[in-house]
Amino acid sequence: MKGVFSAPGDYIHFKSQVPLHKISIGSRQWRYYEFGPKVVPPLICLPGTPGTADVYYKQIMSLSNKGYRVISVDIPRVWNHHEWIQAFEKFLDAIDVHHVHLYGTSLGGFLAQLFAQHRPRRVRSLILSNTFLDTQSFSASMPWAPVVSWTPSFLLKRYVLIGIRDGPHEPFIADSVDFVVSQVETLSREDLASRLTLTSGAASIGPLLLSDTFITIMDTNDYCAIPRELKDQVSEKYPGARRASLKSGGDFPFLSRPDEVNLHLQLHLRRVGVEAKPDIGLQNPRDSSGGGSSDKNKEKEDSDDPAKDQSKGSPSRDAKNKEKEGANNDPSNDNSGEGSSNPTSEDPIHLAASDNDGNDGSKKVNEEIPKNTASLICGQLKPMLLDIRVVMETQLILATQAVELTQSYSVLYLLLSLYLGNLYNTQCHSLNCRQTV
Amino acid sequence: MPARRRTLLKVIILGDSGVGKTSLMNQYVNKKFSNQYKATIGADFLTKEVQFEDRLFTLQIWDTAGQERFQSLGVAFYRGADCCVLVYDVNVAKSFENLNNWREEFLIQASPSDPDNFPFVVLGNKVDVDGGNSRVVSEKKARAWCASKGNIPYFETSAKEGLNVEEAFQVIAKNALKSEEEEEIYLPDTIDVTGGSQQRSSGCEC
Repeated sequence: MKGVFSAPGDYIHFKSQVPLHKISIGSRQWRYYEFGPKVVPPLICLPGTPGTADVYYKQIMSLSNKGYRVISVDIPRVWNHHEWIQAFEKFLDAIDVHHVHLYGTSLGGFLAQLFAQHRPRRVRSLILSNTFLDTQSFSASMPWAPVVSWTPSFLLKRYVLIGIRDGPHEPFIADSVDFVVSQVETLSREDLASRLTLTSGAASIGPLLLSDTFITIMDTNDYCAIPRELKDQVSEKYPGARRASLKSGGDFPFLSRPDEVNLHLQLHLRRVGVEAKPDIGLQNPRDSSGGGSSDKNKEKEDSDDPAKDQSKGSPSRDAKNKEKEGANNDPSNDNSGEGSSNPTSEDPIHLAASDNDGNDGSKKVNEEIPKNTASLICGQLKPMLLDIRVVMETQLILATQAVELTQSYSVLYLLLSLYLGNLYNTQCHSLNCRQTV
Repeated sequence: MPARRRTLLKVIILGDSGVGKTSLMNQYVNKKFSNQYKATIGADFLTKEVQFEDRLFTLQIWDTAGQERFQSLGVAFYRGADCCVLVYDVNVAKSFENLNNWREEFLIQASPSDPDNFPFVVLGNKVDVDGGNSRVVSEKKARAWCASKGNIPYFETSAKEGLNVEEAFQVIAKNALKSEEEEEIYLPDTIDVTGGSQQRSSGCEC
């Protein structure tokens, strides 16, 4: 069933353009994407429990095209909120970023507020989407929180997935759910356990120093996993915040309504004074005198290769690279799941899916070339060894999961199914997979 | 839950540059007017809570740039519009002649499900200027055009003096609400057919 999901064409394109960074800070691994001109203060995207840095790929592509700098991170493996604040601060230090604009959805929005509360000097503005102020209701609905770190991976995954509304969706929302589900599959047991611990650990947001005028609240008005009461609390806490509601979009509007979300992000950044740099010194969005002409310039820029901003090569080489990238992008239209063969991909399902592809080997070679040229353009050549490490890592994870399953399965299975049974009743009325538990 | 849900109504204001779109919105939402002209870049929006028959609604009013056709921000703000307000300056003939283009532009970009019955409202703004002496588009002419396009409601407004602004926006909100309700009845059908099977294969792999 899982093999059915094939990576969308624009995601394959994204993977071919934007390098995935992995750095270790202390004992912690950070996995993130960064794109757009370095001189612009970045917008940092923080995903929710089922998300990864990848879920914001549409924002990264679109906003970097418009001259903004976007960073999207995986929530690292931290086990309490204090640890999160410290880890995130160290991460910002490590990537040499001082002031940030944070865009957080659900758990990410909560973590963004926490960081803004405890490190007020670093946070310039907030965009909060479908989020909450207090973890109380989540810990109440997760009485098994104390055993989270022993829970086998498949149960954690299932718990995370049942939070996503089941049932008939319109195609764009269905696609966004598919994408997020495919991302959940890439998460390790520790990742999931850490996030659920963050969601259930007692904490609430205190007063922020940040003025409401630097906050935009971007909730979806149809439904989402975060109950309406909790979202309303956020709006009540920041009465002066801008309400950028979306009529619909479900849990993942950044995937299902990307153009609307990007528009709101852009309007927010403009409002809080972030100046986009589509090309050096070309564009000042606040400049009202030349609105017409400057916007035309901007549009012209949009069609350009985003990598060009960071190009260090000569024009001719640049053109060659583009050509190669163009060749690479062609297969992106047939959705046969080859996105998986990107060197930076570490997605176990994708790898599994491409095993079924007879000609995968040759494809892989083909795709590695443009990937590396893309890395070259961005001035960050990564050793090939990384790929092997990634594959080995994946296999290791799978192996440990198998061992772990047999061990803890029998003990926790009965216990957790009881809990989950309750949770189903309270949380997912429309779920029809209860009998499988 | 649906009872608690606050309906969001999306209104788009279109019209030539300088006819007073931003001023009308500001007058309605903030009760403020400034004589200083500042071109809108791309688009921007304001929200206002409105009450109708003991229900609260959020009105999201999108003010768009008249000069360039706001490609800089794309056309995302058209999506899900519930009402479109066309504004012209009664003292500038060209701005009236362009109403048709704006209307067509909207129908193309927003592609509403029922374009013939999509609610528009036309506002003839700046009726205060020069005591009405510099006026070049007569009310009769404007009303005739509105009638020919399927009886579009018409108001003569002055953003500066707040004349008819509240009244106009009340009709705008009411028509937006009507359109939103129809939309809600209409949508579930389409969801079931297109999204249903697709979802089942993915959402329930538990």
